[in-house]
Amino acid sequence: MIESKDKTHHESAIQHVTGEAVYVGDMQMGEQMLIGRVVYSPYAHAEIVDYDLSEARKLQGVYAVLDHKDIPGINELNPMVHDEPCLAKEKVSCIGQAIFLIAAENEQIAHDAEKKIRIIYKLLPAILSIDEAIAGGNLLAPSRAIETGDPDTALMQAKHVIEGTLKTGGQEHWYLETQSALCVPGEGHEMMVYASSQNPTETQMVVAEVLGINANEVVCEVRRLGGGFGGKETQGNHVAAWAALLANATRRPVKMVLNRDDDQKITGKRHRFQSSYKIGFDDNGQITSYIVDMNADAGMAKDLSMAILERALFHAENAYFIPNLRATGTMWKTNLPSNTAFRGFGGPQGMAVIEQAIDQIARYLKKDAAEIRYKNFYGLHERNITPYGQPISNNRLLMIWDQLIESSNYYDRREKTSSYNTKNEYVKRGLALTPVKFGISFTTSFLNQAGALVLIYKDGTVLVNHGGTEMGQGLHTKIWQIAASGLGLPMRKVKVNATNTSKVPNTSPTAASSGTDLNGMAVTNAIAKLKARLQPCAAKMIAEQFGFTPKGALTYQNGKIFDLDHPTKSIEFESLIAKAHFEQISLGATGFYSTPGIFFDRNKGKGTPFYYFAYGMAVSEVEVDTLTGSVKLLRTDILHDVGDSINPGVDLGQVTGGFIQGVGWCTTETLRYSKDGHLLNHSPDTYKIPGIGNIPEIFNVSLLDKAPNPSVIKRSKAVGEPPFMLAFSVWLAIKDAISAVGNHKVEPLFGLPANNELVLLSIENIRSRHAAP
Amino acid sequence: MNTGILKFVLDGQIVEIDFNKVGFLPSTTVLNYLRSLHGHKGTKEGCAEGDCGACTVVLGELVDEKIRYRSVDSCLLFLPAIHGKQLITVENLAIRNGRETLLHPVQQALVEQYGSQCGFCTPGIAMSLFALFKSDIEISRHNVIHALAGNLCRCTGYDSIYRAALQAYGNRQPDQFEEKEPETTKLLQQIHAEGISLEIKTIDQIYLLPSTLTEAIEIRASNPQARIINGATDTAIRQNKTHEFLLALLDISGVDELKVIRRENNGFYIGAGLSIESFKAFSEKEMPFLLPMFDVFASWQIRNVASIGGNLATASPIGDFIPLFIALNARLELINHQGKRWVGMENFITGYRQNCLEKNELLLGIHIPYAGQGVVFKTEKVSTRRDLDISTLSIAMRLELDTHNKVQDIILAYGGMADRPKRARHVEKFMMGKTWSKGNIQEARALIENDFTPISDARSGSEYRMAAAKNLLLKMLW
Repeated sequence: MIESKDKTHHESAIQHVTGEAVYVGDMQMGEQMLIGRVVYSPYAHAEIVDYDLSEARKLQGVYAVLDHKDIPGINELNPMVHDEPCLAKEKVSCIGQAIFLIAAENEQIAHDAEKKIRIIYKLLPAILSIDEAIAGGNLLAPSRAIETGDPDTALMQAKHVIEGTLKTGGQEHWYLETQSALCVPGEGHEMMVYASSQNPTETQMVVAEVLGINANEVVCEVRRLGGGFGGKETQGNHVAAWAALLANATRRPVKMVLNRDDDQKITGKRHRFQSSYKIGFDDNGQITSYIVDMNADAGMAKDLSMAILERALFHAENAYFIPNLRATGTMWKTNLPSNTAFRGFGGPQGMAVIEQAIDQIARYLKKDAAEIRYKNFYGLHERNITPYGQPISNNRLLMIWDQLIESSNYYDRREKTSSYNTKNEYVKRGLALTPVKFGISFTTSFLNQAGALVLIYKDGTVLVNHGGTEMGQGLHTKIWQIAASGLGLPMRKVKVNATNTSKVPNTSPTAASSGTDLNGMAVTNAIAKLKARLQPCAAKMIAEQFGFTPKGALTYQNGKIFDLDHPTKSIEFESLIAKAHFEQISLGATGFYSTPGIFFDRNKGKGTPFYYFAYGMAVSEVEVDTLTGSVKLLRTDILHDVGDSINPGVDLGQVTGGFIQGVGWCTTETLRYSKDGHLLNHSPDTYKIPGIGNIPEIFNVSLLDKAPNPSVIKRSKAVGEPPFMLAFSVWLAIKDAISAVGNHKVEPLFGLPANNELVLLSIENIRSRHAAP
Repeated sequence: MNTGILKFVLDGQIVEIDFNKVGFLPSTTVLNYLRSLHGHKGTKEGCAEGDCGACTVVLGELVDEKIRYRSVDSCLLFLPAIHGKQLITVENLAIRNGRETLLHPVQQALVEQYGSQCGFCTPGIAMSLFALFKSDIEISRHNVIHALAGNLCRCTGYDSIYRAALQAYGNRQPDQFEEKEPETTKLLQQIHAEGISLEIKTIDQIYLLPSTLTEAIEIRASNPQARIINGATDTAIRQNKTHEFLLALLDISGVDELKVIRRENNGFYIGAGLSIESFKAFSEKEMPFLLPMFDVFASWQIRNVASIGGNLATASPIGDFIPLFIALNARLELINHQGKRWVGMENFITGYRQNCLEKNELLLGIHIPYAGQGVVFKTEKVSTRRDLDISTLSIAMRLELDTHNKVQDIILAYGGMADRPKRARHVEKFMMGKTWSKGNIQEARALIENDFTPISDARSGSEYRMAAAKNLLLKMLW
């Protein structure tokens, strides 16, 4: 327990730094425990003609080799829409699709057993790109759209119109802890599942479904995840289902931890998008119309793709008021692993397009892009209705702009960048400011709910259970703070428990940045119930000890309970609890919360899908070696809005970490596939996430001060996803530097990621266009 | 070579492993060994290829009766490599006193700076910080990055970790390891007194760790099938990833005669067994033009164990030091039980990942001639990420100009452009006798197409490689 300098450090910090923190892969179940392995398809699309498992089953040390016929329940991984078999039956639809499961004494034997499996495939034509899917009409589901005003007429009437396209690449989650689960069979049908899952309830449901048992026979427990980022929102279920099938078949504990290469090959990624757009604007850069059409690669199954597409459409306009807008989006089915949630959940893909379009407008009008952005920001009291009809209240954009423009010394540096570029032929610098406005709430409205179970024990200590999972984001730390301050107890008296479906049922995934908003409220609700129950007992104790009867609610502070009018006449929390127990008062309470007023009518494309918006802005400066395309990040200034921060250390960590993860997506993280659909970058050898050398040389990250968020727990704001998109400042600073090669006269070829390959080829393109007569 | 028992210090005690009595191979990695123990599961596997550092541990080694601490990736370390050394894991950093835990300054700094989020990379980060704490490296942004470039974190964005490094280093004071050093030294000396060579023969695998060159040459002659390793950062990956079964290994990392550096025959003689990090320390004074390459060569953990000979002998088409040594006119000395021979760097490489070593030969050392007056060396590595990334392509140049700025001699060696590192002969020929000017170099750029037909792979497309290869010529100008 560390509470130095009035700061609360990460709830597990000491366990982290001493190596004591337990992850699924560290758990031991004695010599009975077996190791699970998944055997998956090496072909993107093929018929399974025949196979023979007998040799593998005979191998010493092998306890089970399972195929789809061995599944006692339903052969499904997706509990909502049944379109993703747990084990392939007659056909495989992507490389990495599970076909067989092996349980063996150790990894080597499991590996040897895999080699003894004989399988005959008949190859089928595979669809491996969005273009191929479009050409083949391979729709995942009907298109979606959001529209406001009259975009077609407004575009015709616009003084200037620019058209363009943008491709944004996928992204591998690269959580440090790969997908893992440990399943322990119990009495009868019982199955205990220790999972690295952002979604314990769904893990429980999927396990129950594949085993053909009831949800009340499965318990899923999640102590912590070694990183999730969306990659374990649905796909953490897969490995749990596989381990459960093996544990059920062998009646032994089975642990399955994917190795890094398998994890990268098997699991889904951030969706790649390709979008085309037309944008109309006047001489000042005021946008009058924006029409964008997004096409995305869903992979082989639905997973969360339609919700992701929807969020992309909700963020098509980012921070800008655009009176006439139409955003349409289509998810296409391909023969790649099903793509899935990833921090931002479609938001980044939707926002990248408008940010690129504005950058183009600026070059076209020979103005500073930041000025165009400013001009188009949502207004405080007017020009403040989103394309889906939700009014924006408590807009922080202008507040952030004013402060950041000054603290980053933007205009001065804009000039310095220009003069640097005129003096340097082969090294160019670029500067960009980009904003983020991000809607907070699950857009699948019913998911905006959470539960808690707060238990006070006889010794006056408290155990808090809630439905959210801890994956590094500091949710448990904030819940710990909320519970301790709610009960007026020192932190050491309160403990946050591992997330467990037998404590809190039917929870939503820890996703959409909503963990603290929802679970913090549920915990607060449980605490309020407990305090209400304790009230008569506490009042009686105060009356007995001090001879007066307190009026109204009592105050809980520093382990004491008192009437605010008589702060010195207090009773101890411990004594109150001991007394309450004697008086037969229940000291455990459930809590519940659901976000009020959230709805969205998909048919009309209108509603209030978000409870509120989070804002942020970043200014980044880069240096580009125009001979190699290498990029150096010189400086980034970030000002981000988290309302009243519950824990500034944790929030700054989320902002910094989200930003750098975004920088990875925008720069070095490139997914390349062979012509038959093999992912070439399936290990960190060739898939490059940012390292410590990639952080800006000057890095100023601040939280917006004096901007409380009404009606949210402790007037705070969600912080997980929004900072990811601050990385567009780096992406467009790179474009600015490329553009300097042609004196900002030609629009550079651009895309995302802007890796050194794209940067150099774009520069070479400008040079050849310049050289041409 | 009289003992087959591996001995090292862990948790303050000598641990002995007799591979004929345990259920795992000598080539088991230190990571897998640690994870099989109770109480050492803090060391994590993140990638099993030395690219993430979650498995970082620190080795304490006796050097002149003092203990020197070096960080290493335990996933790339075969167990016998820790023979006669102290193995320090994340569990060893804090002092435990009953229920009390006194954190090591690096741990305390990580906690206070919010340097951990999900915590999975944290043990490795703590160990790299510990290695930095125990080093005599001057603290600077560059050096902190250098010490931590081998550790990936997906949560924090590193800023908090960077601040933790500064905080811990700023409050440096003697720690428990310094206090316990006399005790530990005694234990290590006890192991060393029994001789530090190892001859491990199990039913499944032979692992030979000689301590003298004579032993090494004899073993090489009598066990020509044994895979030679010296640091094993390449071989370990193959065992981890492809489950390649290694029947016999000749580990020459214990041979001190291979770790020499001396002036010889108008140049430097570098022993093939020298670690990249030791070579780097030497170059800082003597061959500063090599530093740009060291700066971007793998990670601290890998440089600490990987040997220069290993980098050359793997004969990788990229092999960071191969183009450099081609440009430097380096020659390699090979040895067997009958004698020695010299071979030029370029001729040493015979094909894709193939060298000219005979079945009984070892690479003994590398001779690098002095540059001489007026000779310019330049090198440049291009990679997707600057740190801990394999080159997409690289260039090394040796240039001799006459007094009229005309090219008298030029070597331009490229990595990553062919099945092996190769000279751009057409460009070289074109530049001979010409003025070293931008105009002439511009003209020479097109000739790169006569020299190379690069491929597209997981790192980049061929079009990029070709464009960058041409541009790298311009970078040789200044």
